[in-house]
Amino acid sequence: MTQHPATEFSLTTVSAPSTLIVRVAGELDYDTSDELVDTVAAGLARAPAPRHVRLDFAALTWIDSMGLSALLMVHRHTRAAGAALYLDNRPDVLERMLGHTNVLDHLTAPVTQDAPGPPKEGDVTGAVVS
Amino acid sequence: MGRAVCVPPLVCASPSSFADPRDAGVNVGATWGDAPYPVLVIDRDGALVGLNAAARRLLPRGNGEGTRRHLVPSWLSAAHRRLTERAAGTVTAPLTGEIDERRYEAHATPSEDGAVVWWLIDDTDRRVAEAALYSSQERVAVLSAVSSRLLSTLNVPRCAEATVSMAAEHLAEAAVLVLPPQGRRHTLTHARRGHPVQRVVRRIDPRTVQGLAEALQGFPPVPARWIDPDGLPDWVIPEGFTGPVGSVIVTPLPGHGVPAGALILLRSGTERAFTEGEEVFARLFAARAGAALSAARLYTEQTAITATLMRELLPPALHTVDGVEYAGQYRPAGDEERVGGDFYDFHPGSESAQETLVVLGDVAGKGLDAAVLTGKIRNTLHALLPLAGNHDEVLRLLNGALLTTQHTRFATLVLASVRRQDDRVHVRLTSAGHLPPLIVRRDGSVEEVPTRGTLVGALPEISSVGAEAVLGPGETCLLYTDGITEARGGPLGDEMFGERRLRRTLAECAGLPAEAVVERVQMLAAQWIGAGRHDDMATVAVSAPAKVPPGSADREGAGEHGGRRK
Repeated sequence: MTQHPATEFSLTTVSAPSTLIVRVAGELDYDTSDELVDTVAAGLARAPAPRHVRLDFAALTWIDSMGLSALLMVHRHTRAAGAALYLDNRPDVLERMLGHTNVLDHLTAPVTQDAPGPPKEGDVTGAVVS
Repeated sequence: MGRAVCVPPLVCASPSSFADPRDAGVNVGATWGDAPYPVLVIDRDGALVGLNAAARRLLPRGNGEGTRRHLVPSWLSAAHRRLTERAAGTVTAPLTGEIDERRYEAHATPSEDGAVVWWLIDDTDRRVAEAALYSSQERVAVLSAVSSRLLSTLNVPRCAEATVSMAAEHLAEAAVLVLPPQGRRHTLTHARRGHPVQRVVRRIDPRTVQGLAEALQGFPPVPARWIDPDGLPDWVIPEGFTGPVGSVIVTPLPGHGVPAGALILLRSGTERAFTEGEEVFARLFAARAGAALSAARLYTEQTAITATLMRELLPPALHTVDGVEYAGQYRPAGDEERVGGDFYDFHPGSESAQETLVVLGDVAGKGLDAAVLTGKIRNTLHALLPLAGNHDEVLRLLNGALLTTQHTRFATLVLASVRRQDDRVHVRLTSAGHLPPLIVRRDGSVEEVPTRGTLVGALPEISSVGAEAVLGPGETCLLYTDGITEARGGPLGDEMFGERRLRRTLAECAGLPAEAVVERVQMLAAQWIGAGRHDDMATVAVSAPAKVPPGSADREGAGEHGGRRK
């Protein structure tokens, strides 16, 4: 069971009408996760705003907890922008992590028409504690 | 006529008399009389037999009666004697001496009749310039020595000691360093040239030394001449400093944005007062010392903060509670950092009917951020302990407490509530996005506890499914973090330890006490990694002690999974 030399982390952005596609290659971890969030946030800020954001993980070799944290942050951005998030071509390592942590449904939930904005401090604690 | 009157340090070297040396008719040429340099002619016997106008202006006159003869300085007479006693024609190196507080170089031109013409050249200014150059070179050397000595330590007391001892060596007879107050007390470091440094912590009133209160606030230094040395309080004077203080400098030590302290330099009355140049130099010195001291202080504060956090966050020692064995081990990612993203905690029930809560978790990220989140989770769970009967509720409340709009840093964890009933141990387990715990039965079979749930701290809503398990004697439930299964190493160096190897390892641990199980799992994972890098690795084992030798009891398969909740 040999491992190929770690692929260099890279993000490739493809813009189609109303869709933002980001190909994620290499290791999404502590050192690289911020870059993904920034890239998606920048893509969402364009006009016209994309309605769909597809992250393509076909070339993903590794993801750690900070990588997953970045996906959760990406989701906050897409939801705030009213765009749907898709996680395409998920390799085992990502599938396992999404399974253990039980966040796949949350990340890929369909966007409702009245999508709420980003959670505000008051909203969040109020909703959960009450 | 009569002997010359000797007025030390100037002597009249002439035993004979003359009205005007110019009339003496000494055969040394005529033009020297108009030379711009002072020229003296001294004969074989040491008598001043000629001098030009420049020399006449320079040399003082004796106050003998009548004739006020010019006096030859004693250093020149001595040099002349040395010269004439030697063979004629010997050229000697130029001599120097002082006349009227200026320095002259004397060049001799012996003539045939044994008289010597002395040319005096004023080199006072050159010497002053040389001295200034030398002292500025010396100061540069001192400053560079100060920097290298001070910057080699990040320890505040040692930095303070180096500062005062170097100040006492190069700037003054004694130096006192006053550090900013801690509470109402100041640390004072005293040094006297050639004596060991002394340090005391005491209450002082900085206003009793002119300029000190201001210097401690970082205001510019007060010039030395404004400070009255007589008014100095006793605590300023180092032990053994004799004699009255002659002059004082108080200069602030500028730190990184805040004053790092103040330096007081003292000279006794017998030494010369501080010059303006020395004050400037003292300020340069203080700037270097201040930078070093404040770097040392920032470092010390940082270390103290980290140490405090670590003390709070270090995993607790686990032990046997009410006949149930608990053991935990934690190996941080960097062996140099003792706190990382993995953690476990332990809240023993106060009585046997009460459950003991064990928590094991993993926080996303590393370093101080992860440590702070770990602390928050452990504190929150501690506060929620009374609600531990309902894991779902505990996790929901924890999730709410951790949620923030700032980031999506999350944690995964497993809650285990443990209670003994006779020789069986009942465990309620709930995973919040964490790897499911494993149970090793006495026959060596390994089972996964079927609990699942959402990670905490990132999503507004979470859900979880708990599970119950019963451990018979000699059976163990292992909680672990992904640092174990994802440990990379092995023969090829980049293979993961994996769940399969972990299960095989556990199978070999059947019947072992909790302590031995965590020891073995951590050891094999560490061997697997070898010298490679690894993530945090945490393991906690909960065991029902094997009171009877395996095989002699009919407890095979005693444990089974209980009903699911939710």
